[in-house]
Amino acid sequence: MRRRTLLATGGVLVGAATTGVVSDPTGNDRLLAAARDPGDGGEASTTTERLLADTDHETTLYAIDAPSDGPTAMIFGGVHGDERSGIDVAHEVTEWYPDAGTLVVVPETDRVAVENDEREGVDGDLNRHFPADEEPRSALARGVWDAVERHDPDVVLDLHRSLGILGLHQEYVGQAVFHSPGADGEALADRLDDDAVPWYLPFHRFTSLESNASGPLLFQHAARELGADGYLFETTEFLLDRETKVEMTRLATAHVLSLHGLLEAGESA
Amino acid sequence: MSRDNLLAEDDSTLRGWPGLPDSLRRAATGPATAATFALLVVPFALGWYDAALFSPLALPGYLLFGIGTAIGNAVAPRFEFWLYWAPFLAGSYGVSVIVGYGYERWIARTDDRSSL
Ligand SMILES: [Zn+2]
Repeated sequence: MRRRTLLATGGVLVGAATTGVVSDPTGNDRLLAAARDPGDGGEASTTTERLLADTDHETTLYAIDAPSDGPTAMIFGGVHGDERSGIDVAHEVTEWYPDAGTLVVVPETDRVAVENDEREGVDGDLNRHFPADEEPRSALARGVWDAVERHDPDVVLDLHRSLGILGLHQEYVGQAVFHSPGADGEALADRLDDDAVPWYLPFHRFTSLESNASGPLLFQHAARELGADGYLFETTEFLLDRETKVEMTRLATAHVLSLHGLLEAGESA
Repeated sequence: MSRDNLLAEDDSTLRGWPGLPDSLRRAATGPATAATFALLVVPFALGWYDAALFSPLALPGYLLFGIGTAIGNAVAPRFEFWLYWAPFLAGSYGVSVIVGYGYERWIARTDDRSSL
């Protein structure tokens, strides 16, 4: 290679590394600190339940009660077993402290699928097992739905990731917030763009889509049957490493809790 | 950099490319071509390696790669996205040659004018 070519390449490399570090998205430290800090209103108390106890599907549910009254939010990870970012974040959220209300978390909803690191468990795609006007379609889905009915959430958030990006890649749905008619998916998408998507990754900006209430997805069923505000969050595998997917999923979770009054610090830092 | 200098250097490096017109031969490996190629590929490759290393400089490569995968996914779904590296590198080189050709033409014009 000629010297000028080397120089040009070297210059680009140094420039890219420098601007990359300098312009790294800021996140939202204040919001995440509020989620992780116990706060001064007194200790939250955590209880656990075994869902589908003594079956292959047995999985743990965590219920974290804040010192003051407020809404109940349910967070699901691992409805698809190979979508690790949602599972990781849901596990992390079991250590969060809501300021008000009750935070209910199921990190490994389809535990067989999670253990096999596959999208679907033994009875197929769990997120198609909640049809309108019918019983849930599998034993796992019925066990999960029992827990949802018992906790009667005001908000449901289901954490996912797709291989591609909605709107860019025809068959994929990544970087999107699907939400029930009453839920504020638009505000969630805006806050995520502000916190986590730099301007020079325009394809990765979040899209919010109001979902019709008639589908067989868990968040749709919760919206339909219980009047909950339902969200399905999708990040993407496309050009994002594990750490970045986890950070976007973590911020989505914290923003949903803040939009619905479980966390006090809401606005972007 | 003087015109003579450019020519001398290109003559020695491009002996393996006989049949091509001078301007095209220069565009194929000229400094503007190399710089453009580096700009399209290097910052994007850094971001691919570690998303925290994405930067404004990666935007051109990011757009080219993203649009490439969008077209590919519409035409032939189910390909893994890393498979798009080969067409991305080829496409980046194509864009670079066009830029390099424009640059050579521009240099030639300025030189013509200054020798009047
Ligand atoms: Zn999924």
